[in-house]
Amino acid sequence: MKNHLLVFLFFILGSASVLAQNVITGNVTGSDGVALIGVSVYQEGDPGNGTVTDIDGNYTIEVPSGSVLIFSYTGYETQRIEIGDQSVIDIVLSQGVALDEVVVTALGIEREKKAIAYSVTEVDAETFSAAREMNVINSLAGQVAGVNVAQSATGAAGSTRVVIRGNSSISGNNQPLYVVDGVPIDNTNLGSAGMWGGQDWGDGISSLNPDDIASVTVLKGNSAAALYGFRASNGVILITTKTGKARKGIGVEINSQVRGESLFNLNDWQTEYGHGRMGMKPTTMAEAMANGLYSWGARLDGSNVIQFDGVERPYSYAGDPQSEFYRTGLTFANTLSLTGGSERVNYRFSAANLSNEDIVPNSGLDRNTFTLNTNAQLGERFTANVSATYVNENAQNRPRLSDSPGNANFTVGLLPPSIDVNDLRGDENKLGAIEDGTELQFNDNVFVTNPWWAAHQFEANSTKNRLIGNVRLRYELFDGLYIRGRLGLDRYDRQRRNLTPYGTAYSTLGQIDEQSTNFQELNKELILGYDKQITENVSLNLFVGGNQLSNRRENIGASGNNFAVPFLHDIRNTSNRSVIYDLSEFKVNSLFASAEIGLLRSIYLTGTVRNDWFSTLTDIDGITDNDKTYYSGGVSVVLTDLFDLPSAIEFAKFRATYAEVGGVGAAEQPYQLSLAYGVFAQGHLGQPLGGIINNSIPNSNLEPLTSKEFEIGLDLRFLDGRLGLDIAWYNRNTLNDILGGAVPPTTGYDSRIVNIGKMDNTGIEFLLSANPVRKNNFRWDVSLNFSNNQNEVVSLLTETQEDQESIRVEEARTRNAYINHIEGLPYSQVMGFDYARDDAGNILLDDEGIPLQGELMAFGTGVHPTAVGLNNSFTIGNFNVNFLVEGKFGGYIYAATNAYAYSRGLHKATLEGRESGIGNVAPADLENYYSRIYNISGEFIEKADFIKLRQVVLSYNLPKSLFGNVPIEGITIGLAGRNLALLASSVENIDPESTYTTGNGQGLEMFGVPQTRSFQFNLGIKF
Amino acid sequence: MMKSFGKYILLIAAFSIVLTPSCDDGFAELNVNPGAANSIDPGFQFSWIQLRTSGERYENWRAALIYSSMMVQHMAALCGYWSGDKYTYNAGYASSLFDRGYPQQVKEIQDLVYNLETTEDADFAMLGMAKIWRAVIFHRMTDMYGDIPYFEAGLGFIEQNFDPTWDSQEDIYKDMLFELEEAVGLLGSGTGFGSADFIFGGDVEKWRRFGNSLMLRLAMRLSEREPSIASEYAGKAISGGTLLDGDDVFLPHTNGPEGVNMNGIGEVLDKSNGFGDDCPRLSQTLVDWMLATGDPRLDVIGELPANGGGHNGLPNGLDEMLIQDNPTGTELDDFDRVNPLIVRVSSPMAFMTVAESRFLEAEAALRGWGSGNANDLYAQGVRNAMRIYEKYDASLAIDDAAIDAYLAANPFDGSMKMLGEQYWAATFLNEYEAYSNYRRTGYPELVPTNHPTNVTGGTIPKRLVYPQGILNSEKFQEAKARQNLPDDFASIMTVPVWWDVN
Repeated sequence: MKNHLLVFLFFILGSASVLAQNVITGNVTGSDGVALIGVSVYQEGDPGNGTVTDIDGNYTIEVPSGSVLIFSYTGYETQRIEIGDQSVIDIVLSQGVALDEVVVTALGIEREKKAIAYSVTEVDAETFSAAREMNVINSLAGQVAGVNVAQSATGAAGSTRVVIRGNSSISGNNQPLYVVDGVPIDNTNLGSAGMWGGQDWGDGISSLNPDDIASVTVLKGNSAAALYGFRASNGVILITTKTGKARKGIGVEINSQVRGESLFNLNDWQTEYGHGRMGMKPTTMAEAMANGLYSWGARLDGSNVIQFDGVERPYSYAGDPQSEFYRTGLTFANTLSLTGGSERVNYRFSAANLSNEDIVPNSGLDRNTFTLNTNAQLGERFTANVSATYVNENAQNRPRLSDSPGNANFTVGLLPPSIDVNDLRGDENKLGAIEDGTELQFNDNVFVTNPWWAAHQFEANSTKNRLIGNVRLRYELFDGLYIRGRLGLDRYDRQRRNLTPYGTAYSTLGQIDEQSTNFQELNKELILGYDKQITENVSLNLFVGGNQLSNRRENIGASGNNFAVPFLHDIRNTSNRSVIYDLSEFKVNSLFASAEIGLLRSIYLTGTVRNDWFSTLTDIDGITDNDKTYYSGGVSVVLTDLFDLPSAIEFAKFRATYAEVGGVGAAEQPYQLSLAYGVFAQGHLGQPLGGIINNSIPNSNLEPLTSKEFEIGLDLRFLDGRLGLDIAWYNRNTLNDILGGAVPPTTGYDSRIVNIGKMDNTGIEFLLSANPVRKNNFRWDVSLNFSNNQNEVVSLLTETQEDQESIRVEEARTRNAYINHIEGLPYSQVMGFDYARDDAGNILLDDEGIPLQGELMAFGTGVHPTAVGLNNSFTIGNFNVNFLVEGKFGGYIYAATNAYAYSRGLHKATLEGRESGIGNVAPADLENYYSRIYNISGEFIEKADFIKLRQVVLSYNLPKSLFGNVPIEGITIGLAGRNLALLASSVENIDPESTYTTGNGQGLEMFGVPQTRSFQFNLGIKF
Repeated sequence: MMKSFGKYILLIAAFSIVLTPSCDDGFAELNVNPGAANSIDPGFQFSWIQLRTSGERYENWRAALIYSSMMVQHMAALCGYWSGDKYTYNAGYASSLFDRGYPQQVKEIQDLVYNLETTEDADFAMLGMAKIWRAVIFHRMTDMYGDIPYFEAGLGFIEQNFDPTWDSQEDIYKDMLFELEEAVGLLGSGTGFGSADFIFGGDVEKWRRFGNSLMLRLAMRLSEREPSIASEYAGKAISGGTLLDGDDVFLPHTNGPEGVNMNGIGEVLDKSNGFGDDCPRLSQTLVDWMLATGDPRLDVIGELPANGGGHNGLPNGLDEMLIQDNPTGTELDDFDRVNPLIVRVSSPMAFMTVAESRFLEAEAALRGWGSGNANDLYAQGVRNAMRIYEKYDASLAIDDAAIDAYLAANPFDGSMKMLGEQYWAATFLNEYEAYSNYRRTGYPELVPTNHPTNVTGGTIPKRLVYPQGILNSEKFQEAKARQNLPDDFASIMTVPVWWDVN
């Protein structure tokens, strides 16, 4: 946009000059033959003399003879044509990597790529639309060096954890800021599972429709994100949505997709011994009920053995419960978009629908998205842009995870081999129920729920309506000086209903929870900027500005239990009810400035400064320090422009930068400065109740964390751009991180809020890209991205508390494995109990010959330090084939699935000793033996290294000639697959990407939704 | 050009308007939580603390029922996770009272006592009641766990004490006795909490008597370890005046609306209210003892087996497999459930009964530490113990004739054994206390079970186990050494607490 405008201005100013002129006319097209509208055409050395191409790609310009014409267009390689005596010059611009490429940077300011002193990576729209994911951000996995996209095992409507360059906050948010067309959008996870179970209620970024994305820019480091101040420390992902273009008529584009997902079953359980205990088959119904969860029975022999329902069935392998229970997931997605307009006003409208059935029966997601994006050139100096996205999302039955109550995955994952999951179906008209409509129980532990009942009778539904809006006005005061105002709104309401139905074994009268969340964030920003090439050798880009942010989140609801009328699942039908109400409000005001000075078009010095004032750090007396200053500085040097380098080196840029920025933690959490009492007005026997509401010891002197990062990088291109290397090294120190500092529960509190955390991240990342073959009809591109991040938790608490060097983040449901942050070790250590060992390391046994539990120890980080993505793309004529292989290495996971499989006698390892015992342990006591090992949780902590065939995309552009006179501009057909193969894995029975939460406690697995592989068919038609 | 300049100045002006006034205008007001207060009425807080001490389903299920009621053989269960009569170690169950006690009870009572002590013109009766209640909270925890943080506990905010020292049970007991004496003295002036006190409606006189009876309970706890202290405080308590007939320390609960309003034991066992853990049955030990003595309470606490027949207790230490060889019944429905009328979510929670006080007074009399006639005190104890059930449901009243007949058939023989057994029967549903008095006196003479999975070498556990997370802390190491605790968590259960000489 800005380029057009500048050129427009240049044109106006330039028209004043009068010289001997040649009139040149011509037409500019892309390599596909389609006219390019709005291409800048100007005279080299006198950018004031320029024009832009019209709606048919035509231009006319007067230039002195012997001068040079520059053709420049965003996203295309700039061309330079010396004028001879021609009067007609037709130009074909090719897309691709151009040296003077422009990128979108912080606050939506477009900059020349070579001027940038920090690492920034652009990802094109194809990445998100060619092989789709339910959560659009999953498509970034393996694509960008240093961007760690960790999927979770939480179902189709679940959330994803994205971390750039390692975790920078010990207990605060570590996910990047998402900015859509200049509007920061909320990505809060609206509820996740923990040790006691629960569902993943989804995140914010998943609302976006991949068909609306034009490009994504990843601002990885502090410097890149510095202008976002207190929200910069986790990096920023800038998403630019598609806009309209001046064109003839209305452009219609239809994208349709159908996607099937199938279970990726990794459970490899024993199928030789059936339900029972102590090596025996059950003989009574009560015994069968009591043993419903245990596979410690006799060897399967086909004899008739009683089961939970009193029916005798053959004591033989009943088949894999997972493949019987889960279904094939199915997703349909359609987007219709209309574009059009003139050079003055253009628009794009899109309507999209997505309909998904998850592999968990009765679970899925529907989403409707509408967007409108308009640009207007109102007079010579005034431009306006208005865009709005409305999303309506309905998720049905978000699956329960982790702990067993209501979690179908738990039951299905642990069913004894001799029990057929279909025998638990019960009433076909009410799955999982018996005649009276209550849960069909198959074991005597009421907390292990019948999976059919869990899937079909439980409810965990949510509806979200979201509006993301953006109004941007820009006025060109005079040559190079502009003022820009922007209003950005992100607003949603979300209703959720969480039902434990009447008749559930562990809650026979049922429970319900209905909540409504209203969220709004409004940003008002004003910028005054100056952007000009002052002389041939000096350019300036300056701006100052301010932003006001106000954020409000309100949660209203009611929960109730004990339905009075059976099966009438309405909150008003509950006997006991309580009110839920939470309000959180905060504001941040900011002033900022940025300066970039370009020298010799090859040396660029940049600096930014920003000051943020926080309402959350303002106490009632106004005594506390409530503001922070952030800054950055950097230099970029284009070596190839300054020095004579070997001709093989086409381009070489060195950059270095340093920045101090903030992190969101305290800035976005109000009311943390003082002790407060809550009043529980429902009271007791007419008396009000009241008590302390803080679970953490409050601290009136809080401040947001500070993150300091130094980064250097080298950008090299060789051999006519056919080989490229973009490499960066960084060192980032987080200081004053706000911790729920570990305090023992005997203080009365969970933790104390304190600015004490220190953490370091040092890493290297590179992108090596090559174009080994570039022939007329065949092109092969290969890129390899690599990142390695070394994280160290430097300090958790003050030196006076030397004994507390560890804080617990998560605990596994088995209560013997944990995620701790530990001083001197990387973030998120997976902790478990080792075997008790003698000095020589031999495992110690107790009197009965059963291994003893030893010390609690840290096995390693739950976050992979190393990630590699290898992308191969082959273009043969109109065919394109793309493979992405991703590997992550060095992280650990506690597989609770394996722990349970030991104690339940399902794991293949438990076959040892069934007939003859182990040492002194008799076969009948094996359960004790393996149950002890269940508590020696280190046995189940393994490296979670993996290599996955992340995606294969096959696409075909139908040749234009096929369409003849039919008014079709293009048809693209694509076949794609995601997560097709687990090529290597260091953990058994589970997918290494199986965590049940996207929170900070990474490295715990427990009965999430199994991973899937998807196959998809895409059809895109342009009219 | 001048025109442009004019516009420029206008825009700069507009700019200033957007960004001024000062950059943090209105921030202080915005940062005040609209849903909370900076101070609280002490009555609201005392009400809250009483309910939190009564506890949630969480710790009542785990520490009180799954462990305590099973270890003392009040109840029995076949379900594997009912660890208490199989002597298995479940870390989360064993630490549950500790896990909930400090954040939910200790934090609040310390805050209340601190605020009352630092407020000018504070009501002394309130302070007295708060201090008595503090002893209720702490003695239960030290009885279950041994050495615990006491003097510095729960002061994370008030004194910014982030790592409390662990105190010996000896020091804790001595201080609690001292505090109780002071608290009873404080009750001489002021008005107290009034109706915010759910137990006695703020009756200062009843609180004074409760303070003395609690002092007696704590004093007698030291009977074997520190007889001189025990006799000194038992004497003070008895001469100060203990609970009068009918003044049982019961906290009334209701059917909701929230968990905090309900009886935590009811939340586990009240099937009519949708929770219903159907694992436990009355223990054979308790049922047989009551059958042998013709105890009219058996019809009150037990519900006849669903499969018919007379009262029948489930033997402890069995599971679904082992029950198959049991001569008195092979399935759960062959045995007595706990009468649903006494384990409703609206049932009162018992902290102390008059009966317990009388049995301790009788014991003191036998030991020569207090006045009174042991025979009379025994009879009063039994009479009070029989009458508590009418507080659960009017239909459960045991008439005087039945009590008289029982006393006639079971006259006091002057033995500690008989007092211990009656105390054990009287503390049904006050399981923490039942477990402590059993450990102190060794009565009733329970036969330990020997389930194949037990981790105690076939002995009844001597205590519960601290949360595992705390066992690595440096401050804890002193307490660990002082108590000679083993490294293995499960084995901690076999180590007696300080006052337990058995």
